[in-house]
Amino acid sequence: MLRKTFYFLLRAVRNMWQSPMLTSASIVTVTVALAVLAFFAVLVQNISDVTRHWSEEVQVVVYLASKPDAAERNADIQKLRADPAVVSVAYISPEQARNSFRQRLGADEDLIKGMPSDFLPASYELHLSEEMRSETGVKQLVERLRQQPRYRDLRYGQEWLERYGAIISLLRVGGFIMGGFLLFAALFIVANTIRLTLYARREELEVMTLVGATPWFVRAPFLLEGGLQGFVGGLFALLVTFGLYHLALRSQLATLFMASGVGQIHFLPAAYQVYLLLTGTFLGLFGSLVSLRRFVRISP
Amino acid sequence: MVKLFNLSKSYGRDLHALRDLTLSVPKGDFVYITGPSGAGKSTLLRLLFAAEVPTRGQILIGGQNLGRLGNRQIALMRRKIGVVFQDFKLINSRTIYENVAFPLEVQGKKRYEVSNKVYQVLKHVGLEHKLKRFPKELSGGEQQRIAIARALVIEPQLLIADEPTGNLDPEVTLEIMELFKSANARGTTVLLATHDRQMIQRFPRRIVSLEAGRLSADTES
Ligand SMILES: Nc1ncnc2c1ncn2[C@@H]1O[C@H](COP(=O)(O)OP(=O)(O)O)[C@@H](O)[C@H]1O
Ligand SMILES: [Mg+2]
Repeated sequence: MLRKTFYFLLRAVRNMWQSPMLTSASIVTVTVALAVLAFFAVLVQNISDVTRHWSEEVQVVVYLASKPDAAERNADIQKLRADPAVVSVAYISPEQARNSFRQRLGADEDLIKGMPSDFLPASYELHLSEEMRSETGVKQLVERLRQQPRYRDLRYGQEWLERYGAIISLLRVGGFIMGGFLLFAALFIVANTIRLTLYARREELEVMTLVGATPWFVRAPFLLEGGLQGFVGGLFALLVTFGLYHLALRSQLATLFMASGVGQIHFLPAAYQVYLLLTGTFLGLFGSLVSLRRFVRISP
Repeated sequence: MVKLFNLSKSYGRDLHALRDLTLSVPKGDFVYITGPSGAGKSTLLRLLFAAEVPTRGQILIGGQNLGRLGNRQIALMRRKIGVVFQDFKLINSRTIYENVAFPLEVQGKKRYEVSNKVYQVLKHVGLEHKLKRFPKELSGGEQQRIAIARALVIEPQLLIADEPTGNLDPEVTLEIMELFKSANARGTTVLLATHDRQMIQRFPRRIVSLEAGRLSADTES
């Protein structure tokens, strides 16, 4: 078994060695196709992390028309808590609002120096239950809150949610279409490479089948050749994407997301890296199978 | 060893290369297949190692019906059949040694077993000193002997040869014939297509004659 595998591997490598141009062309196309896919995957991954992070924080802020007294406040909190969508309620007094605003301004805190202590309205911050964090969940809650006239204004992160959602779907669709197209091109080129190898060895292949080689014995080295090309292509794609990520992508993304407070930009998770290699390998195997089906016959 | 029942092979609608051929070749037999050019000799041999499929009829080899075999089984069946092709079919990019070793390599035989057998059979055909050469560096007669060595290296039960002495001078023809005779003496069934009357007269054996794809005579001598 091991001896046979080694024999096939030797033949596959020898085939590739004897046609370096074809082999590199085929590896390069696999690399390009998979690198494009991986690049988009990094983008989508990080952007959806941002939205997930953001949606964990999603809360509805209820601004009050006037500062409530203690009794009013307790009644409000009781009632808000009773809503099934709400997990917790925090009361933010105008002074607290002013403080945290000042902190956020940092060096520019002079801007609010002259302002009265209650120039910001009092508010309730509602933390939503996990299942209500979706767009429709938030909207329904907001509809319910609007019934209460003392709740002057309601703020929730709907715009953000929608905008990020749109960007992610765009990237996803774009990545899939482009990557899919390139994968198809790569498949075609790998299949063609193997076909040309088969053609170069047709004499040997014919004799091989005539002296009793089993179908798989004939196919194995070429499958291995395709699979190896795909795997190497996948490996290069991973390296290229990793390089791009370190040289440019990481800092670009970090700047882009600074405002939203995402902790870390990261590369593809290990599982995705493995998928990438597997995709390359399968691409190669499949490409070579396509050619083998048409060119290797044991008997008419 | 070989049984044919109502075997026919047509190319297209009107070209009948073989018509309704029924024949039996017992184990250990030596049979000449003769007939004028175009009589269907090569076609018959190609059908025997399943390089072509019959239009009608059955082929039994060693009790196995070729029509019922899948690709893998055909491959395994071919390991019992040594074929000497009219055009030799040697692999020009491989050495003589590699060419003769090829059928054993394909069977996954161990390296020392392969080298032993290859050396023995090359010695038998008298070309052990040329094992590092390439086919194109050898004469026609030598290439023919290499082709025979490759057919014999698997110790076949059935040896099939298509005009093995076709374009060789008489001296070489004698050497080649000796190889077939000795294989037959060791128990291999031999089927030899030829239209070389002289050769048949020198080594008289059973003669199956074809004419326009039909069996015209079957004479024991
Ligand atoms: N692959 C083929 N396609 C069409 N006709 C063929 C093919 N092979 C053989 N024939 C025809 O079949 C007949 C028998 O050919 P063949 O078996 O080669 O005769 P032989 O070997 O006795 O000279 C001939 O008429 C030949 O032209
Ligand atoms: Mg012929």
